[in-house]
Amino acid sequence: MGGSIFDGCEVPVRADLAESHERAWTAIAAPGTWLTGARRVAIAAEVRRARECALCAEVKAALSPGAVRGAHDTAGALTEAEVELVHRVVADPGRLSERWAQSVLARGLAEGEYVEIVGVVAMVMIMDACTRALGLPDRALPAPLDGASSGYRPPGAKKQAAWLPLVEPEDAVEADGPMYPSPKAGYIYRALSLVPQSLRDYWALASCHYLPGDVVYQFDRTIRAISRPQTEVIAARVSALHQCVY
Amino acid sequence: MLRESMQSSGREVDVAQVTRGFGEAAEVPHAAALAEFAEAVVVRDAARIAAARARLRAVLGPEGLVDAAATAAAFHGFVRLADAIGIPYTTAARGQDVPELREAAGINAFHRVRGDA
Repeated sequence: MGGSIFDGCEVPVRADLAESHERAWTAIAAPGTWLTGARRVAIAAEVRRARECALCAEVKAALSPGAVRGAHDTAGALTEAEVELVHRVVADPGRLSERWAQSVLARGLAEGEYVEIVGVVAMVMIMDACTRALGLPDRALPAPLDGASSGYRPPGAKKQAAWLPLVEPEDAVEADGPMYPSPKAGYIYRALSLVPQSLRDYWALASCHYLPGDVVYQFDRTIRAISRPQTEVIAARVSALHQCVY
Repeated sequence: MLRESMQSSGREVDVAQVTRGFGEAAEVPHAAALAEFAEAVVVRDAARIAAARARLRAVLGPEGLVDAAATAAAFHGFVRLADAIGIPYTTAARGQDVPELREAAGINAFHRVRGDA
């Protein structure tokens, strides 16, 4: 493999973390289940655009996010519904609602597209936050890879517990591919299950940053260079600042 | 998860610090420095991040700094998955995040719980 984004870092970065970024960017550039590689890379570009969007800043500052009208500052490669989804998830995730999610879908996004876009946004947010935290610039976006999306929808997916359909562990079938570390996997693991490949791509990245699924509930064990309570102080503060209840 | 990780070693933590912020007297070693680093990354303030990073590197070493950065980054993803898909929060931490704990932590004031988003 060639150089990594972490080559210029002031401290050595563990190899699995650097490799997880390279794998994730390759996955983002590749055709997804519902989106082409070009659309996925355009979503990654829009994530970065959203960080500087004046409308998003205004919405976040408003008492009610629905009270602000205007147009997002967009790179122009995505539909209006895609732009709204990307920008709100990036800029003000703690005030999203089921009614808002349904309004985005009603503007012409399929449920699978919505979930796949959320997966790409979350992956880009992780990688850009990690490099920023270590004093590095954003990695250049990858060139999109050609190929067709598969359009696979898990037959066991149903809308019940969340705003979008999920595949409960007992409803997963072989064609979905591996999804859960355990039949008791929490809802955070199930969130992207409508698009199993997005789920796998996301967790391959996230587990290298936080903790693998088989360690998360072993509170007396740490596999990182900081203690488990220290890990959870960071986790709790980041979540609280995003107004995330989960 | 913070409370659980502390209880596993027989200690307690004031969960209100989750929303109020962690002071120097927090029960977790270097909690104030860890929280300051996390906050700086969330608000994307390059100078503040650099200062917090230097402080963390001094007390945790280079490997600790990397894992602190990686953890802060991971939760930039988790919060978006949870809040964009609308997964139920009452089952968080395997149901350990009961209403009383959310109240003590100040989480019941969040938009999603209040239902005013």
